[in-house]
Amino acid sequence: MDNLDKLIQEHLIRKAQQKTRRHFIKNCAQGIGGLALGSIFSGCDPLTNQKGKTGTPFTERDLNPLAVLSPPFNPKIKSVIYLHMAGAPSQLEMFDHKPVLHKLHGQDCPQSLLEGKKFAFIKGTPKLMGPQAEFTREGEAGNWISNYLPHFKKVIDDVAFLKAVHTDQFNHGPAQLFMHTGSARLGRPSIGAWATYGLGSENQNLPGFVVLTSGGKTPDAGKSVWGSGFLPSVYQGVQCRSKGDPVLYIEDPEGISRNLKKSTIDAINKINKEEYLKYADPEILARINQYEMAYRMQIAVPEVMNIASEPENIKQMYGVEPGKESFANNCLLARKLVEDGVRFVQLFDWGWDSHGTEHSTAIDLGLRNKCLEIDRPITALILDLKQRGLLDETLIVWGGEFGRTPMQENRGNKKMGYKGRDHHGDAFTMWMAGGGIKGGASHGQTDDIGFSGIEGRVSVHDVHATILHLLGFDHEQFTFEFQGRPFRLTDVEGEVIHEILA
Amino acid sequence: MEVLKQLIGRLHPVIVHLPIGFILAGLLLQWVDRNKKDFVKITALLFMWAAIAGLVACVTGYLQYLGEGYSFKNIKTHLWLGIVTTIVVFALYLRLSENLKFPLLKKLPETFLSLLLLLLISYTGHLGGSITHGDDYLIAPLPNNIKSALGFETYEVKPIELSPESWEEAQFYDDIIAPILNNNCVSCHNKKRAKGELVLNSEEAILKGGENGDVLIPNNVEESAIYSRLILPDHDEDHMPPKDKKQPDKEEIALIKTWILNDAPFDKSIGEMGLQKSLFTSFFPKKANEDYPDVEVVEASLDSINTIKKQGIHVQRISTSSNFLSVSCINRSDFSDKDFIKLSPIRQQIVDLDLGRTKISDAVFEQIALLPNLTVLKIDYTSITGQEMHKLHALEHLKVLNLTGSNFKKVYLEQLYGFKGLKSVFLAYTGLDAADNRENNDKTTLKIEFGNYELPFIESDSIIY
Repeated sequence: MDNLDKLIQEHLIRKAQQKTRRHFIKNCAQGIGGLALGSIFSGCDPLTNQKGKTGTPFTERDLNPLAVLSPPFNPKIKSVIYLHMAGAPSQLEMFDHKPVLHKLHGQDCPQSLLEGKKFAFIKGTPKLMGPQAEFTREGEAGNWISNYLPHFKKVIDDVAFLKAVHTDQFNHGPAQLFMHTGSARLGRPSIGAWATYGLGSENQNLPGFVVLTSGGKTPDAGKSVWGSGFLPSVYQGVQCRSKGDPVLYIEDPEGISRNLKKSTIDAINKINKEEYLKYADPEILARINQYEMAYRMQIAVPEVMNIASEPENIKQMYGVEPGKESFANNCLLARKLVEDGVRFVQLFDWGWDSHGTEHSTAIDLGLRNKCLEIDRPITALILDLKQRGLLDETLIVWGGEFGRTPMQENRGNKKMGYKGRDHHGDAFTMWMAGGGIKGGASHGQTDDIGFSGIEGRVSVHDVHATILHLLGFDHEQFTFEFQGRPFRLTDVEGEVIHEILA
Repeated sequence: MEVLKQLIGRLHPVIVHLPIGFILAGLLLQWVDRNKKDFVKITALLFMWAAIAGLVACVTGYLQYLGEGYSFKNIKTHLWLGIVTTIVVFALYLRLSENLKFPLLKKLPETFLSLLLLLLISYTGHLGGSITHGDDYLIAPLPNNIKSALGFETYEVKPIELSPESWEEAQFYDDIIAPILNNNCVSCHNKKRAKGELVLNSEEAILKGGENGDVLIPNNVEESAIYSRLILPDHDEDHMPPKDKKQPDKEEIALIKTWILNDAPFDKSIGEMGLQKSLFTSFFPKKANEDYPDVEVVEASLDSINTIKKQGIHVQRISTSSNFLSVSCINRSDFSDKDFIKLSPIRQQIVDLDLGRTKISDAVFEQIALLPNLTVLKIDYTSITGQEMHKLHALEHLKVLNLTGSNFKKVYLEQLYGFKGLKSVFLAYTGLDAADNRENNDKTTLKIEFGNYELPFIESDSIIY
């Protein structure tokens, strides 16, 4: 009984909320204006020719929140694949070649560098640790790459490096949030949500924003890194699993046939249509659309998420392991999704937090294994997109939430059993490849030991501004009204990094 | 009392229209009545009212001058002419009234007084307007060629362009600072107007400063008004340029700052000052939209777009600022040759066409050839063999042709070289490979992608560290 009372109470509150004076005045102005406009413009309804009772024309977005919109500027890319190495990979063992650090191995870190800096675990005066990998120059552009990534050199000329990215966060959760939503605090939409909100998605049978995790740990910041923040929740990332049902409960329950499901949805939609004829609320049409889309997705999603049907040589190239959750499987899925018109695909891999507390987080052991896990699939992804003509219209972004220190971690001010590096946000490497990107470019430079950027430093906001630029947006103009002010992905900062653009 | 003075003074711009109205009404009536002379009395009455109203206008005008702190230099002509106008209108009243007692006035022809009055009222009114609205109020909206024909100085906005090759040779002042000042400041700060007694179009004038002293102090951006006023908030009274005028770009403001912080030289090049390229990249020539044809097309009608959309065919503008359209059949896998006719209303606008995974056949090329601006064509995973491909040779803008996974036949490979502007062709998964391609010895820019990439197993693949 208590619960019923609560429900009634909530209903009354909702009802009252909808009838505030402010709402009344607002509705009056819009309603009457709409009535007038509707009669003036009747018959030249811009998009759908479907009219509500008031005659106010609906936009396509009213009916389908994922309807495609054109960006303000000519876009260079249609889709984005964002590869996030959660835990923060060490730039010093992968891309940022620091021979001087090698010479200084084992020496105390100069006090001047430590002053005013915060580290997650480093205490006292840590010792510098030389790179644990060997570097060579590869490709026509001659960019440096370590022997931890033996396959990647094959595509190195397709990639543009950002060697001096910096962030102001040094713990995983906030740093991941910052990297994906432009703010270290909760509540902002992720890049993928902005992209699908701004552009919609072409394939009406698939979600516009898909998230794939490699199994194991999910990102520390939780699902907010692919959340929709204050944008309508339909723009949040849809997490698909590469093992079992791709989306939970996507299969019809036992005993329910596809036909029965269809008649159920038809019946619901019939009632909804009557409801719509009565109230002319476009929300109802959107709901009808959503039911139909969900029904179509039941077929389309398992189809696109099935990698078994791919040719054998492709499976080998990526190194997939069907039936498991793996980064390699996800890379192949990313290509399939982008090929099918999905706007934003986000991959999260885990286990990159190389503190050196155990074998799996040792810079020379665990990290090397992680590198081998991603080396082949990422190289394959770039080659596969390239041969299908998709690389020119897709952007691949690779990075972690920050980088790692040139100093060896000394947790508890002690020498540790394995070699590790602490969190470090002053300078780390990210790379981009694909449409609109100048392959072979390398922007930014760190100091001799890789502690800070000394040239071409770029912020997380700059990276966001560049992604939006490639999608056809001016990051300063692309806003959403919330709590009385327009919000941007890049807040009040960000500059497009023209140095890596073709 | 001070308040009252100011308040009455502020009524001047309103009151002043009374004598103007009376005078114009009087002059008009006088002209209409020039032969019959039926309304002389009324005309005289109008001029009397005008004289009284003119007196009030003079008094309020003087109070406004006192109360609002105008400098006498700026308003003196208006003030004196206002008084003269009032006297002349009074004289005209006397001249027209019956019991004229001044024989001297009688000698003056009526027409002379009327014409004089018309001139006076027009010019005095114009001066008054210039004081309140600024003296370029009427000139500013005119196009530059008319302005210069009228003998006014024009400050044509000249875009600043640096070349990506020789940017270091550009003179910082002559090629960057001077144009920025010209484009944003000089229309008010020139020798003729010199607002705030400041002129900004030459080295000497900039160093001389304005009524508040120096505007440029090298290496001190806070004290250099030429910079510090630019970055004040818009609503600040001292913000420059005034908020309703064109504002400099943030890159331009940054360059003024850089210039001041680097000793504000008037004769050094960028290279000599050793500055970073990134400061200047936004002034490099923008690459024209090279992705799509450089032709103007009209906007496709919404009706035809909507009709096509209703068929489940996806149509969208490339961007909201472009009339070019991108069309995709991603949601219409049953699209076939006979459906193509539906696209004909937008054939001029289509630049990007995706017919991948549809049921089209080689016969479709005849119709695709009718899309004059087509730039990207995707016909991947279709039963296309390439037989009729040559029909597309007329498409001069076609750059990308995606035939991945189609039935493309080796015999038609040669046809691909018949395209003028074709840049890349994708032939992966067609069964062809690079060995099928002809020796590429002529200077073609065409890149054919045969795919078939492999990542052979290497030893480290199986190592677990």
